[in-house]
Amino acid sequence: MTAQLNPDNALMSPDGDLVVCTDASRTFGSGPSAVVAVQGTTAKVSPGARIAIAGPSGSGKSTLLHLMAGLEVPTRGQVTWPSFSTDAADRAQDIGVVFQSPSLVPALDVAENTGLPLILAGVGEQECRDRVAEALELVGVSDLAAKLPEELSGGQAQRVAVARVLALRPRLVLADEPTGQLDHATGQHLIDVLMATTTQIGAALVVTTHDRTVLERLDTHWWMHEGQLRTATTQGASA
Amino acid sequence: MTITWLGGLLRRRTGRLLATAVGISLAVALIAALGTFLTTSKATMTARAVRSVAVDWQVQVQPGANPTAVRDAVTRTSGVTATESVSTTQTTGLSATAGGTTQTTGPGLVLGLTPTYRHTFPGEIRQLSGSPTGVLLAQQTAANLHVRPGDRVSIGRAGAAPAVVTVAGVVDLPQADSLFQKVGAPPQSQPSAPPDNVILLPQATFNTVMGNRSSAATPAPTTQIHVARGAPLSNDPAAAYESVTGAAHNLEAHLAGQAVVGNNLGAALQGARSDAIYAQMLFLFLGLPGAILAALLTAALASAGADRRRAEQALLRTRGLAPRKVARLAVVEALLVGTTGGILGLGIGAAAGRLAFGPSPAGSSLSTSLVWAAIAFIAGLAIATLTVLVPALRDLRGRTVADARHAVGRSRTPLWMKGGVDFILIAGALLVFWASSANNYSLVLAPEGVATISVSYWAFLGPALLWLGAAMLLWRIANLALHHGRRPLARFIRPLTGRLAPSGAASMSRQRRPLARATVLLALAISFAASTATFNATYQQQAEADAQLSNGADVTVTEPPGLRVPPAAAAGMQTVAGVRHVEPIQHRFAYVGADLQDLYGVRPASITSATALQNAYFAGGTAKTLMARLKAQPDAILVSDETVKDFQLAPGDLLNLRLQDSRTKKLQTVPFHYAGIVKEFPTAPKDSFFVANADYITKATGSNAVGAFLVDTGGTNQNAVAANLQQQLGAAATITNVTQARSQVGSSLTSVNLAGLTRLELVFAVLLAASAGGIVLAVGLAERRRSLAILSVLGARRRQLRGLALSEGLLITIGGLIGGGLIAWGLSQMLVKVLTGVFDPPPSVIAIPWGYLTVTVLAVVGALGTAAMVSARASTRPAVEELRDL
Ligand SMILES: Nc1ncnc2c1ncn2[C@@H]1O[C@H](COP(=O)(O)OP(=O)(O)O)[C@@H](O)[C@H]1O
Ligand SMILES: [Mg+2]
Repeated sequence: MTAQLNPDNALMSPDGDLVVCTDASRTFGSGPSAVVAVQGTTAKVSPGARIAIAGPSGSGKSTLLHLMAGLEVPTRGQVTWPSFSTDAADRAQDIGVVFQSPSLVPALDVAENTGLPLILAGVGEQECRDRVAEALELVGVSDLAAKLPEELSGGQAQRVAVARVLALRPRLVLADEPTGQLDHATGQHLIDVLMATTTQIGAALVVTTHDRTVLERLDTHWWMHEGQLRTATTQGASA
Repeated sequence: MTITWLGGLLRRRTGRLLATAVGISLAVALIAALGTFLTTSKATMTARAVRSVAVDWQVQVQPGANPTAVRDAVTRTSGVTATESVSTTQTTGLSATAGGTTQTTGPGLVLGLTPTYRHTFPGEIRQLSGSPTGVLLAQQTAANLHVRPGDRVSIGRAGAAPAVVTVAGVVDLPQADSLFQKVGAPPQSQPSAPPDNVILLPQATFNTVMGNRSSAATPAPTTQIHVARGAPLSNDPAAAYESVTGAAHNLEAHLAGQAVVGNNLGAALQGARSDAIYAQMLFLFLGLPGAILAALLTAALASAGADRRRAEQALLRTRGLAPRKVARLAVVEALLVGTTGGILGLGIGAAAGRLAFGPSPAGSSLSTSLVWAAIAFIAGLAIATLTVLVPALRDLRGRTVADARHAVGRSRTPLWMKGGVDFILIAGALLVFWASSANNYSLVLAPEGVATISVSYWAFLGPALLWLGAAMLLWRIANLALHHGRRPLARFIRPLTGRLAPSGAASMSRQRRPLARATVLLALAISFAASTATFNATYQQQAEADAQLSNGADVTVTEPPGLRVPPAAAAGMQTVAGVRHVEPIQHRFAYVGADLQDLYGVRPASITSATALQNAYFAGGTAKTLMARLKAQPDAILVSDETVKDFQLAPGDLLNLRLQDSRTKKLQTVPFHYAGIVKEFPTAPKDSFFVANADYITKATGSNAVGAFLVDTGGTNQNAVAANLQQQLGAAATITNVTQARSQVGSSLTSVNLAGLTRLELVFAVLLAASAGGIVLAVGLAERRRSLAILSVLGARRRQLRGLALSEGLLITIGGLIGGGLIAWGLSQMLVKVLTGVFDPPPSVIAIPWGYLTVTVLAVVGALGTAAMVSARASTRPAVEELRDL
């Protein structure tokens, strides 16, 4: 069964969409041991969207996120980015991804890690420094700027990963369980920061989570089950 | 359980296990092949020593003893296969009349030979012309007397009328030195040269001509029993020497003073014995570092897979396996890798040995091969234990995963660095080197007649400490440079990495530990290859110099004494195909005081076009300056060290020599001026001689007769050119070429198949260097792959990723090449100095094998470049997958 979704801005022209998945599937492996992580998903993300993807572990949330980031290639169907460049490296400047697993470069300190996407985007040195300091401040890890990833706790590393995305100021933020390793209060704060900042920079936000309290903060809910996008519900924003 | 686990291990980690096994196999192969080299060369030395001797023992019957009884006793001695008795007596002089003039010689020796002598000892007498039976005249005697086979010669007898005999043949006595030795006398009281005048008579003729003592003034003939031995000898020269010497002493004791044994075989083995020790030294100096290096590389390889192994161990423990059982699995893994590597290595070693030394090298008996195989195999197991088992056990002892992954962070300075151990080691190396290059040092001391050989094993310390100390110093420097040189580093890698340069520099700076380790490893491999090659090249250069020195030039035409060939004859030889230059050299004899020495007359301006003069041949100036001095000053003369000491000469001093004037045949005094010291010279003997201007000698003696022509062929075709020259010049001239000399020179190590060793070593060294290049990038590969994957998902382009990986590789390559080059330079200097005894003549300059070094550098750069590109292609695997794994 394929869920035909109609997210919030259904009337907007297709050109304005950030990501469009059309009957996209991703299968890992082949033969009897093949795993269908995402199956026949059709969905799109429009500018300013605030989407939470929920579902049990192993239901394909991360894989769907990776498909939308362009980091995985669909084995069937297609994923397109009408508003972004067709070049993957250029597109990376418009799409910021917070990974579920640790994703900091081990040999760079927190500030250097945070500045990496800016350097890749060709942002000037001074501006880079300012934006890094600002982003670290926002997620509350300024005091960790000179620390190495191996010296951070899992939660601290995750907040740095969020700071790295925020410093970039992309037009689409994809966050894979950003609060997964945080206590409740810090998690809520991080979601606050993500919501506020994306609003400020006019970016769309997609967050995967199985934390109800996080889910409730976002307007649109996508439910994943065994690789399939079952239902999408939209409610009034509560930010 | 073990089996299942082993199966899984084989499936999951095939590549890594195989690579570790290959690393071990290199060490095993090196040890096995070099062991084969050692046994082979020792056997070659023994065989050569035995072959070089024509008569094994010369048993001198003492006055008053009964020769027949002694001979019977000797014949019955075990190990003796044949005996011949030889009578010797003196003649007051020989004379012959030919073409109306009579030539007379000074006193000489008359030998009486049994009819079977030449059959029993074929190497003692070489037929030059005439019949092999009857009265034989030594070549020089025949030349002095101007006689040919068929001519008559009268033998002067003290107190009796001369006896006249008809010469049947002219012979050469190649072993004259030992044939005419004073049996039982110490080396210093042996005659300095064999007698000039020798006539050989059949025993019956000897008895009738020399046998009856007409007066008391006639010395009684002496008898020697010449002995051929057939007792099997050990392949090891030292053991062979001991058994032969022991047997000789035994015979002397048995004969109770009736005879003294002249042990020619023992004397030959004596020389081989110290050469064998040198071969052993070479094995240690050149082979051990290679094996150690292979072990280090294996360790690096194994540690690159340590992460995964740790994860597996952790998994096994969480499944409730007792630590003891996990340890047992580690033992199984080490055994598996060690055994596979060992078997593989023995195969490679056998193949390599076969390539280097031929199918079944002399002296390679099954038992010695097995011994070396066993040693090499055990070494392989030891390496597996050290590189696979020990780290696994250490991890098991509770090092946490976080601890173990501490590749990046802020590390404490290691103790050795704080304590300056690197400086201490280098200072120690220099100290040992200084001591070992002091005057009286000699690596191998094999006193004559003494069974024990002393080896200064401590001289090994010099190169060993240098290698270790320099490696640690390089580590320190690389560490320091990476730590504090972030800015220059960023500038350096900017062309490759663009915007990412500062991040790349920061990351490399923090990963200075694995990077420094990789650089040091590479430097060690390169220094091993380079210093080995340099040592070998220098050795070849000196062996060639030795051959050139003893032959004179590529081809040498020696004119018979008495034949007066003018220098103009060179023009005729010049027309022979393949001849590039012909250089005449005069050979005369000159008295200095009462001492007769060889005198060589040269043309200083052109001599070097035909032969190479090394600076080491001279003292008081280089080859070039001394030849220039000869050229500038016609009566300048180069003399031996000894003459300088004997006559207390200072440069410019007058030195009067007495030379024979060709017109009057009288000795006349000719003034020379001392201009420098000559120790060795092409065609010159090993003892004292003079070198002066040919023109001056011609003027002083009225003769321009040439002793020898040195023929330059450009280093090729010596055999063909020699044959052509022989055809043109006829039988009178003796023509030798350097290829013969090459195979003849050397009681020294030249006899050893060093060419085989060289090939073997060089191939191994370049393999090691190349694998070092590949392996060093495998160190920290997991870390690097992860970083590149993150950069890739953040939007880095493939070009940038490749730039990062390449700049890391480039950094290691440059550090390794510079460090390795410097270490190799120091090491070569030290090796050549410490192993000086191996060289003959000692080298004045070190030969640098540029070709081989280029190949090595290319191999290293190629391997590193490939490894860098492979690691940069992490994008063959989607970057997110890389991230999921960790
Ligand atoms: N790289 C991969 N290789 C093999 N299987 C994968 C890979 N990535 C995800 N999967 C599988 O796909 C399914 C969905 O995984 P994922 O997208 O991570 O789920 P979620 O994020 O909802 O927990 C799981 O069964 C997982 O094992
Ligand atoms: Mg997930």
